[in-house]
Amino acid sequence: MAGSKEIKRRIKSVKSTKKITKAMELVAASKMKRAVASTLSSRLYAEYSWDILTSLSKNLEEISHPLFEKREGGNTLLIFITSNRGLCGAYNSQVTKKALQIVKQQNNKNNLDLITVGRKGDVAMRRIGRNIIATFTELPANISLSDVAPISKLVLAEYTAGKYDKVLVAYTDFISAMTQKPNIKQVLPISKTDLKELIAELGEAHSTPSEVAQGKESRIDYLIEGNRDKLLGSLAEKLTRMQIYQMLLESNASEQSSRMVAMKNASEAAGEMIDDLTLVFNKARQAGITQEISEISAGMASVS
Amino acid sequence: MSQKIKLKIITPERLILEEEVDQVTFPTTEGELTILPEHIPLIASLKSGDVVALVNGEPVPFAVVGGFVEVKKEDGATSVAVLADFAEHVSTLSDEVIARSKARAEELRTQAENKGVVDFEHFEAELERSLTRVRIADKWRTKKYRK
Repeated sequence: MAGSKEIKRRIKSVKSTKKITKAMELVAASKMKRAVASTLSSRLYAEYSWDILTSLSKNLEEISHPLFEKREGGNTLLIFITSNRGLCGAYNSQVTKKALQIVKQQNNKNNLDLITVGRKGDVAMRRIGRNIIATFTELPANISLSDVAPISKLVLAEYTAGKYDKVLVAYTDFISAMTQKPNIKQVLPISKTDLKELIAELGEAHSTPSEVAQGKESRIDYLIEGNRDKLLGSLAEKLTRMQIYQMLLESNASEQSSRMVAMKNASEAAGEMIDDLTLVFNKARQAGITQEISEISAGMASVS
Repeated sequence: MSQKIKLKIITPERLILEEEVDQVTFPTTEGELTILPEHIPLIASLKSGDVVALVNGEPVPFAVVGGFVEVKKEDGATSVAVLADFAEHVSTLSDEVIARSKARAEELRTQAENKGVVDFEHFEAELERSLTRVRIADKWRTKKYRK
């Protein structure tokens, strides 16, 4: 009977683990819902700002602003977005792998510095001894645009100071609750085609305003109040911030959904384990009873 | 005044308002601007302050911080899109919120003094937001408006 006691203890511990993973799954699911909703609601703003940008400069090739100009040279700043906490499946390791590809490519003559968002990525990059110029780990679960302001200001300041020629972001694209894709995107200089794609992607779910944007962009003559270049500049800054914000939201949604899936798997595995252990426990119990009975009857036989 | 303006107030977080209004006034960097139906297309950048829409003679005020405004013709009607970093209907700015905002502004100010430049931009944005809320709520406290 000693064996069955041990099994009982194991069943109990697996059961409490299952409770925890189940709770984490539910929490992640509700967080994911919120994250996805805010990702969707920020699209409208992105569409409109794009609309204004295209209206401002009748054709995109005319835009001349430092944030739009391509620079020679390969000094790169990589913003690396990961989660603060683990237990979310392959989420962190996948995006880290993707980021490391970039890091390795640029090893030789060009300089590559990092801004890390999230503790996990920070730890990973410090381990391999990369130069990290800033770390942001205090972002709330419900990110608002003002939380992104410090990051975008830092990035813009470093970029306009000419320290870097290119700013990339390694983040995780939220495709659906089951699939997330690690991705690298260039935010600065603002590449016009990239931006167009971004907006087009965003507009898919929400086709009317983007159709308007595409159809009318070059036809209206706008009266512009204030300095056009200034307006363009602040719009460019906003767009950069918006992009970083969008990527943070995507990453956040990805993190929560991959955590949800990981926890779901864990709960299922725990359930299976409990079933197996229960079977073993019952067998052991039965064996114990059989043994006792045979002992008793053997005793009886020897007495009579 | 048969014609109306389609007004949209959008922040990165959500769509604050979508409504047909008679006229709309906002603070731009160059001064105050009122848009009536049939206005020519226009782009201007916003200053923090209050955007006031007029619906059936009643003002509908919003506190906004930073952003742009775009006026254009869409399907024959004038449409106005306000892209603000932050926007809130004045009625949501209750006294309690104001008190908290004021306290927050003060707190931020002292924090900013102690902390130096590190997170200055963040503080600045927060501070402006808090101060705008307070200013706009004070302005509309005694006036009548539609909730």
